[in-house]
Amino acid sequence: MQILRRFDHYLAKFESWVLVFLLALMVLLSFGQVVLRNVFDFGLLWADTFLRQLVLWVGFLGASLAVREKRHIAIDFIPNFLPERWLKPLRVVVDFSTGMISLFLLIAAWNFLQYEKESGSILFLDIPVWIFQTILPFSLGVIAIRFLFRSLGGALSFWKAEE
Amino acid sequence: MTFFIILGIILLTLIGTPLFAVIGLAALLSFYFADIDSAAIFIELYRVASSPTLLAIPLFTFAGFVMAESKTPQRLTRLSQCFLGGIPGGVPLVVLMACAFFTAFTGASGVTIIALGGLLYPLLLKEKYSKNFSLGLMTSSGSLGLLFPPSLPLILYGLVAQVNIDQLFIAGLIPGLLMIFIIALYGMFISSRLKIKRTPFQLGDAAQALRAAAWEIPLPFAIIFGIYGGIFTVTEAAAVTAVYVVVIESWVYKDIHPFKDLPRLMHDSMILVGTILIILGTAMGFTSYLVDEQIPMQMLETMQKYIHDPITFLILLNVFLLLVGCMMDIFSAIIVVVPLIVPIAKSYDINMVHLGIIFLTNLEIGYSTPPVGINLFIASSRFKEPVVRLYRATLPFLGIRLIGLLLITYIPWFSLVLINYLQ
Repeated sequence: MQILRRFDHYLAKFESWVLVFLLALMVLLSFGQVVLRNVFDFGLLWADTFLRQLVLWVGFLGASLAVREKRHIAIDFIPNFLPERWLKPLRVVVDFSTGMISLFLLIAAWNFLQYEKESGSILFLDIPVWIFQTILPFSLGVIAIRFLFRSLGGALSFWKAEE
Repeated sequence: MTFFIILGIILLTLIGTPLFAVIGLAALLSFYFADIDSAAIFIELYRVASSPTLLAIPLFTFAGFVMAESKTPQRLTRLSQCFLGGIPGGVPLVVLMACAFFTAFTGASGVTIIALGGLLYPLLLKEKYSKNFSLGLMTSSGSLGLLFPPSLPLILYGLVAQVNIDQLFIAGLIPGLLMIFIIALYGMFISSRLKIKRTPFQLGDAAQALRAAAWEIPLPFAIIFGIYGGIFTVTEAAAVTAVYVVVIESWVYKDIHPFKDLPRLMHDSMILVGTILIILGTAMGFTSYLVDEQIPMQMLETMQKYIHDPITFLILLNVFLLLVGCMMDIFSAIIVVVPLIVPIAKSYDINMVHLGIIFLTNLEIGYSTPPVGINLFIASSRFKEPVVRLYRATLPFLGIRLIGLLLITYIPWFSLVLINYLQ
């Protein structure tokens, strides 16, 4: 348990640094394009395509980090009206279902990647599309693990409290 | 069977399962039953990702977070106070203007109430406005400004409905000002009834405040004129805004430390973008499947038995969207509801730009509609008042804004005049 938590901590640090690097790159590159286009009347052809892929990378890294900070958008209508002692088991159910659904979404993303790989389409500069799409299964995998892990932790603490 | 599945999905939603998962589940199940490979869920995500405007979302969001963290709210408040304090109902107008400016940049993620609340609420109370009026005004203003560029919901609507974002940016100007104007009238009425003293205009103070905010005030105007003057596209405007905001807040004002604060702000802003993007990822594939299966058209057939004219359709749409707006946050509401409504609205000959403005106005009001509008809960924790009190405080504002909504919905002129004029 403790080792897993440590690992998750370092993974999040890593994700966060990659995210900051990619966003900084995105800001500078898109600004550079504006300058090139308006001042020198010239633009990097691959940059626009690359920038749009960066959006997905930055976004999905944000989505997997959002699990740790409990920032995912949800409509928690019913918990507002439930007694305190019901909330913990409910949380376990919610986290477990979200984790399982994310696992199936991971499979879907993985298949999506395989199809792209077979079709062999190229984005720019001879880089195949599927390389950019690896962020989907990666992020969904991390999301699934974080939710399942949290539901396990919740269930364990609940079980201990009952004893 | 289908009935129980739908019931289960709704139950999962209401106990707080993240929306991306609930929608993902709906997509997985319907693709499974229709014998479609679940990989198809993500095809639509890559269609959206091929739109050049997608890049504007992270860039504007990041810029908004940087401004929220710096002392922009203080400078903005001081400036509008100097210029508007002299007219009756001036302080409520200060609140409206500051909140609208701020929400346009931060996209109504509750940031406005949190960032400006601590500044504007005491100001209202100090000027002897009643507690209920002040609370109601703050809560309702928290989503005002969604109609002004470069608001995130406007860009998102353009992406999902495939409507030109340049046009949306200009279409929102008059309806947005109309909403501010209507609430400002009410503020004037209250201030004259409470006999609130005015602060006379002082040239020295005003000039000083103007100089302090000189780097920030031109920003929204530069964006609008830059896009319409053909100087840059929406995406280019976003790139310039992001760089400009970072430079002025960290080098000119020195409110933000480029190494201590920026990485954290990048992290936080991209978490917001990520939570929207992952819903976009699972929902777009699902809604396009529903559209392929003619679900909106079947809804339309049933509706056409009872509804023959666009006016009745718009009334029904308003009621429906108000309900959606107080249950869902604005981003997921746009992603999920817009693709399903668009084909129906088209058959009633509603202009897509006008529809976007109706959508956002509705959702903006839904944000502070009792009992579950999210702004009520944010305001309740921000001002440490029970939610029930906020229900009562926001009611008069709700009534006023509904009048504005009716005007915007039934007089397309407000949304379309500028576009027609500029073309």
